[in-house]
Amino acid sequence: MKHGGVTKFSIQNLLGPIIVLILLTHFVGSASTSLQLITQFALCLFVMVLALQVFVGNSGVLSFGHGAFALIGSYVSAMLTAPVNIKDNALSMNQLWEPLVSPQTNIYVALLISAAVSAVIAAITGVFLMRLNGLAAGIATFALLGVAYNVFFNNKKIGPGSQALPGVPLIENNWILLLLAVISLILVYFINISKIGRTLRATREDPMAAPALGISIFKVRLIAFILSGAIAGLAGGMYSHVAGTFQVQDYYLEFTFITLSMLIVGGSASIWGALVGTFIITAVGQILLMMEQDLPVFGIQVQIPLGSRAVIIALTFVAMLLWRSSGVTNGKEFTIPKLKRRN
Amino acid sequence: MVQSILDAISLGGLYSLAALGLGLVFGVMRLVNFAHAELITIAAYTLVLTAQFPLAVSLIFTVIVTVFVALLMEFSVYRRLRGVNPAIMLIASFGLSTVLQRVYELMFGALPRSAVVAPFLRGDFKVAGLSITISSIITIVLTIVILLAMGYLIEKTSLGLQLRAASADFKTARLLGVRSNRLISAAFGLSGVLAACVALILVIQNPQISPYYGLNITILSLVGIVIGGIASLRGAALGGFIVGVVLSALNTLLGNGRVYAYSWLFILVLVILLVRPGGLLSKGSELERV
Repeated sequence: MKHGGVTKFSIQNLLGPIIVLILLTHFVGSASTSLQLITQFALCLFVMVLALQVFVGNSGVLSFGHGAFALIGSYVSAMLTAPVNIKDNALSMNQLWEPLVSPQTNIYVALLISAAVSAVIAAITGVFLMRLNGLAAGIATFALLGVAYNVFFNNKKIGPGSQALPGVPLIENNWILLLLAVISLILVYFINISKIGRTLRATREDPMAAPALGISIFKVRLIAFILSGAIAGLAGGMYSHVAGTFQVQDYYLEFTFITLSMLIVGGSASIWGALVGTFIITAVGQILLMMEQDLPVFGIQVQIPLGSRAVIIALTFVAMLLWRSSGVTNGKEFTIPKLKRRN
Repeated sequence: MVQSILDAISLGGLYSLAALGLGLVFGVMRLVNFAHAELITIAAYTLVLTAQFPLAVSLIFTVIVTVFVALLMEFSVYRRLRGVNPAIMLIASFGLSTVLQRVYELMFGALPRSAVVAPFLRGDFKVAGLSITISSIITIVLTIVILLAMGYLIEKTSLGLQLRAASADFKTARLLGVRSNRLISAAFGLSGVLAACVALILVIQNPQISPYYGLNITILSLVGIVIGGIASLRGAALGGFIVGVVLSALNTLLGNGRVYAYSWLFILVLVILLVRPGGLLSKGSELERV
């Protein structure tokens, strides 16, 4: 998780991933209905991985807690946009708290609010969590996820509890999701090259020397935690508008594992790594799913036993760590390969 | 009331065994082994699937299988990650844990497997008009025996001395002639034995084994070793015990609100960590490079 991260603005570092993202969305997203849906989910997950990249990639502190922000973002956005009668019907038997039934906004306002609410929660919890160091911090962020899951799963006054809230309006247009992803990407890029990003990486490389240079580890980590919490909230909100439902179980251990593996497989130190990781894990997962269903992949038909997909994905992840713990991109940003002339 | 106190102590004991298994491995290689959960799970599966044999045979078989899986983890994954950043190891163990869960799901199916293990340990008996479950007494007795055995092993034997030395300072211990590979394998083996003990106690109480059987207790024990003090074995055992007792107490005290017991527990943990970031038994603060 060490080394890597850009400090100077470079147009190819920023535009490279954006162009790749646009091309992927254009060609893959329009190929078939199922690929369109996969592209939409992948765009949401990519925003989530970007959120993790800002905090985990730059600070080197593991966070299992970002699932909580995605959960809250998804909850807020779903509750603000689901039709009143659905909330009323689906939730009346669950004694939903009265004031939560009526509020209604459009999707984009709701997404903004979910990012804002997640940022506030990140700020409140971050004040406590960011005082911790090392592994204690990693485990403590796990506690955050545990509390969020426990409360939302059991409390039927604030939400659907263990059931799903249906009828969340869909964002059906790929380009809107793409736009949101690109905005997040640009935001994350500028956070990474800003003073916050650089000082944060300084604390990652040497937690003894950084304070000696006048850096407050607590302060920079807290700021990054809030920013990444907001982005994770946005990702969660987007997810609910692609899935069309809000369900607490969607944002627990499996979500945490998948998004963290995307980050680590791609390389946690760069935006390019976040994109590559999201693409690889999504593509591998999809190809294996087709194999499980005995569908031809690129004209070749290979059948694998049902359920082996998840084993292979997790194994790939572990093998990746053994082979190259800094990820496929090795923490580097996108660059156009230069053709060197030999003299 | 008596039963509640006994329950609390037995749960505490159980969690301290799980925490000790995690603490042993953490001590020698700074690895928070999430996949410890899957050791408990495989032990539970083995117990249930061999339930038709006499308990002793089934137990021996379980210990062998569990230790085998523990060593397999070490040889196939963790040995290659030695000396890597602890955060990477933590996440690798998270991955390994997922791999094993899925493998169990493929092997044993997603639906719970169950069988009656040690039926004579179920039910309750009466002492002075109080009804007390046998399993809570058995748990307490087993825990005390295992903790004493572990205590003897760690305090009095050469292996224990090496383990403690390696926990305190791995590099120096190696320089002084501790064989690192053998020691780490031994730590994994012991953690496998402890996982089998934990599984035995768990299975007596709840014989419905699913691929995620060991997850809950492992997460809570992890929380326990963090509050106890991640660096020492005593701290790990104490932390596990506290988590178990507090959880049991919360379950009794909260009544209908007991579904939120985990939340209160986690909040308590955060408060303890804020007051003592290194854990209850830590001596001074130390920056870890993670």
